[in-house]
Amino acid sequence: MIVRYESWGAWVKLETQAAIVALDRDGVRALGLDGGRAWDGESTRESAPIEVHMAVTARCGAGCEGCYIDARPDGIEPPREALERELDALADAGVFTVAFGGGEPTTRDDLDVLAEAAMARGITPVLTTSGLGLTDARVEKLRRFAQVNVSYDGPGETYAMVRGFDASAAAERAIERLAAAGIRVGANVVLTRASFPRLDETLARAKSLGACEAQLLRYKPAGRAASIEYLARRLSSEQARSLGPTLRRLATTVCAAGDFNVRIDCALVPFLSADETIAKDPDALARWGIFGCEAAGALAAFTVDGRVAPCSFARSSGLHATSLGSHAGDPELARWRAHVAAPPEPCASCSLRAVCKGGCKVVASFVKGVHGPDPECPRVVAAAGERAA
Amino acid sequence: MSEEREIKEEQLRAVRTGHGANCSSIGSVINTLFATATVGAAVFAAVVAALKREQVKVAGKDRT
Repeated sequence: MIVRYESWGAWVKLETQAAIVALDRDGVRALGLDGGRAWDGESTRESAPIEVHMAVTARCGAGCEGCYIDARPDGIEPPREALERELDALADAGVFTVAFGGGEPTTRDDLDVLAEAAMARGITPVLTTSGLGLTDARVEKLRRFAQVNVSYDGPGETYAMVRGFDASAAAERAIERLAAAGIRVGANVVLTRASFPRLDETLARAKSLGACEAQLLRYKPAGRAASIEYLARRLSSEQARSLGPTLRRLATTVCAAGDFNVRIDCALVPFLSADETIAKDPDALARWGIFGCEAAGALAAFTVDGRVAPCSFARSSGLHATSLGSHAGDPELARWRAHVAAPPEPCASCSLRAVCKGGCKVVASFVKGVHGPDPECPRVVAAAGERAA
Repeated sequence: MSEEREIKEEQLRAVRTGHGANCSSIGSVINTLFATATVGAAVFAAVVAALKREQVKVAGKDRT
């Protein structure tokens, strides 16, 4: 296991099973360790991220309408040596997981080397791909990744309604190829007004192709998705409110056999506030390590030009990726953390506050023009009385 | 194997299962939230067992 001290105890990454554990101080002492400087007095040192999303290229020919980094066929691609220096910074900061993305990361021919470089530094490498053009030769270069997720929003027209073209067959082939090669594969499913009604079918299809997991992603207004079209594509209020019951149903259907997991992304957590049962028991969410907005907290992103951003959808800070160790002093990252520490109402009095952390600030900035409460959170909507179903 | 450590379940503040592999937003397994108490207890018991047995390394600036 790999232990990283925190003021409250330690994060622990297990090596014999895929799990990250938050252990209190007594638990850390039971390991025969002491937190030292991290535990001195009332230590308030800012915690480094445990997961970093690293854009390894801005090159991609897919042309998805909602691409959050506006990737293009002629996008820039940093040299491997630069990325290895960024991996050094992750290791120094004690980051546990690096998720390679882009652009389309499989356009690089050195992903196997980068995965090895991450592992050599004690960091678990994972990867997201569109699956387009994923040949057997490229699959071979992905064997060292702990998991590979393929963007798959649904069969046929469902995929097309999210991305603007139908490449679902290619994504399905990619899932099959990866699974056949013995690589853990998941599906990234973007939830829009059009894809949400077919979620059960999409997950069943992904599972039948060999996926072991689906990660549900809220559609976010960044990159090419930061347009007026966002308002028509985002989940309806009713769909947002139904997320809790939907997840409960999936747990008893596609997940029932124990061989398939459903993940939700940080930006979906505020929608759980509409579920009375979940909202009454925030400790359960916390105990299962559910993360809401961890931008500039447990999460950071490295942009393709080597800057640190609070998350992949947010504007980058002035901090260079190789200086991640100085994250506590960066004013932009500090601004994100300060909002989480003292959110305005209605977040301040929300039972899910400690987990949700105020919802998606990228959505708030786009829709409301302020770094404030998530305007699509059912609780925020109810408080403001401003959005009809 | 080293001597077993006295790790207790109540010392676990949170358990995040799985790797996740999304490069744009951080994800969390959610179906465990709806699992039966038996299944949930089994997950935590497996984690405690691993904490008792795995070799310890320290990450980051404090790394060993």
